[in-house]
Amino acid sequence: MVQASSVEIRKVNKFYGPFQALKDIDLSVPPGKVTCLIGPSGSGKSTLLRCINFLEEYDSGEVRIDDQLIGYEVPGGRKMPARKLREMRRSIGMVFQQFNLWPHMTAQENVAEGLIRVRGLPRAEAADRAVEALRKVGLGDKMANHPARLSGGQQQRVAIARAIAMEPQLMLFDEPTSALDPELVGEVLNVMKTLAGEGMTMVVVTHEMGFAAHVADQVAFMEAGELVAVDAPARILHQPEDPRIQGFLRTYHERNAF
Amino acid sequence: MEWSIFQQYGPMLLRGFQITVFCWLFGTIFGMILGLLIALAQRYGVKPVRWLLQAYIEIIRGTPFLVQLFVLYYGGPLIGLRLDALPAGLLGLTIYGSPYFAEIFRSAFRAVPHGQIEAARAIGMAEVSIIRRILLPLGLVSALPALVNFSIILTKETVILSIITVPELMYQVQRMSTETFRYLEANLVLALFFWALVELISRVGRRLEIRITKHLIERT
Ligand SMILES: Nc1ncnc2c1ncn2[C@@H]1O[C@H](COP(=O)(O)OP(=O)(O)OP(=O)(O)O)[C@@H](O)[C@H]1O
Ligand SMILES: [Mg+2]
Repeated sequence: MVQASSVEIRKVNKFYGPFQALKDIDLSVPPGKVTCLIGPSGSGKSTLLRCINFLEEYDSGEVRIDDQLIGYEVPGGRKMPARKLREMRRSIGMVFQQFNLWPHMTAQENVAEGLIRVRGLPRAEAADRAVEALRKVGLGDKMANHPARLSGGQQQRVAIARAIAMEPQLMLFDEPTSALDPELVGEVLNVMKTLAGEGMTMVVVTHEMGFAAHVADQVAFMEAGELVAVDAPARILHQPEDPRIQGFLRTYHERNAF
Repeated sequence: MEWSIFQQYGPMLLRGFQITVFCWLFGTIFGMILGLLIALAQRYGVKPVRWLLQAYIEIIRGTPFLVQLFVLYYGGPLIGLRLDALPAGLLGLTIYGSPYFAEIFRSAFRAVPHGQIEAARAIGMAEVSIIRRILLPLGLVSALPALVNFSIILTKETVILSIITVPELMYQVQRMSTETFRYLEANLVLALFFWALVELISRVGRRLEIRITKHLIERT
C-alpha cells in the first residue's frame, strides 16, 4: 500500500486576462481514491488539474494537499518560495497527454533522472529503481530504448514509470490516452488500474467513460469553467440529472456509435 | 602563373593560415559562450537586463565588423583599453559573433517543447538542473546546424583583422602581393586555404549532427 494524499480545492478561480477559466471550484479528493474529471473541450479540466501541482497559478481560493496549501504562503498571500514548491511537487506525479519524455535520454534515464536530481540518489541505485519502475509498467525489456524507438503506448508507460519511481502520494493524469492509437489505449489504462488498486490517490482527466465508470470512485463534470456536479460514477454517467451532463453524454454516445 | 615564389613565401603563408585558424577558433568558441550566456540571461533575466542585452544585440548586429574593430583598436586607448593587434582582433571577433550566436540559442531554446520542461518541473527539478539536463542538451541539438553555418561565415570575417595588422592569412597574402606583384597567385592561395577550412568545418558539422540526432529521430 502506498501512502496516499488528499486534495482539497476551495473556491478556486483562474483568469486568463478577462477570460475566467475556473469559477469558484470546490472539490474534495479523498486519499486513496480515484477521481475522474470529465466535460467538454475547453471546460477547464486541464487548468484545474494543473492548479493541483501549481503548474498553473490559480488567482484566488485554496488548493491543499494533505492540508498544506500549495503555491502560496497563505491564501491570497505571497507565492511560496520555489524550494518549498519543489518539495511539494516531489510527492505529486503527473502524466501528460503528450507524454513529454525527454527525447535525448533512454527510458531508463528518463525514469532515473528525477531520482538522481531531485531525490539525490546515487546513480547506481537510481538505475536499479528505474528498472524496477519500468518492470512494473511492463517495459523491463525496453529500458535502453530512446523515446523515438518506443510506441505511443510504451512512451506513456515510461512516463508513468517516471512519475511512480518518485514514490508519489498523488498522481495527476491529463488525458493520458488521448494521443494514442485505439489499440494502445488498453495497455495504459491497465497500468492505471493497477495503480488505483494499490491505493494511490489519482485525479484523472479523461474521455474514457469506461475507465471513469469502472475505476473511478467519483466523477466530476465540468463545463465552461464550472464544476457542475461531483458524484458516484453511476449517478453521473447513467442517471445524470443536470441537462448539461445529459447533453455531453448524448454527444459522446453519438460519436462512439457506429 | 609563377609558382616558384611560394618557395620563399610558403612558410609565411602557412604561418598566416595558422593564425587565421586560431582567430576563427577563438572567436567561435568564445563568441558561442558569450552568446549562450546572453541567451540564458535573456530567458531568465529581469526586464532591465533583457532590454540592455537586446540593445547590445541590435548595436552589434547593426554595425559593420570593421567599424567595431576600429572603435576597439583605435578608440579603446581613449578609455584606457590598450590592446595589441592580435588580442584586439580576438576580442573583436568574440564580440562581433556573440549576438548572432545569442539569437541562434534563443530560438533553439524556444524550440524545446514546453511540455518537456513542465515534466521536469512537475517532478520537482530545480531550474538550474532543468537548464543543464534538458534545455541545454536539447537546445544545442536544434541549434547545431545554425551554429555550424554561422561559424563558417565567421571564418571569412577573420580577413578583416588584417586591417589592424593581425598577421593572419590575408595580411600575408597582401604583403606577398605588394612585394611580388603576384596578385593572382596570392589570392588563389587565399581562396584555396579558405575553401579547405570551410569544407572541413561543414564536414565535421555534418558528422556531429548525425551523431547527436541519432537517438532523436523516429524510425521510419
Ligand atoms: N494559457 C492560456 N491563455 C489563455 N487562455 C487559456 C490558456 N490556457 C487555457 N485557456 C483557456 O481556458 C479554457 C480551459 O482550458 P483547458 O485546457 O483547461 O480546457 P480542457 O477542459 O482541458 O479542454 P480539452 O478537453 O480540450 O483539453 C479554454 O477556453 C482555453 O481556451
Ligand atoms: Mg485539457
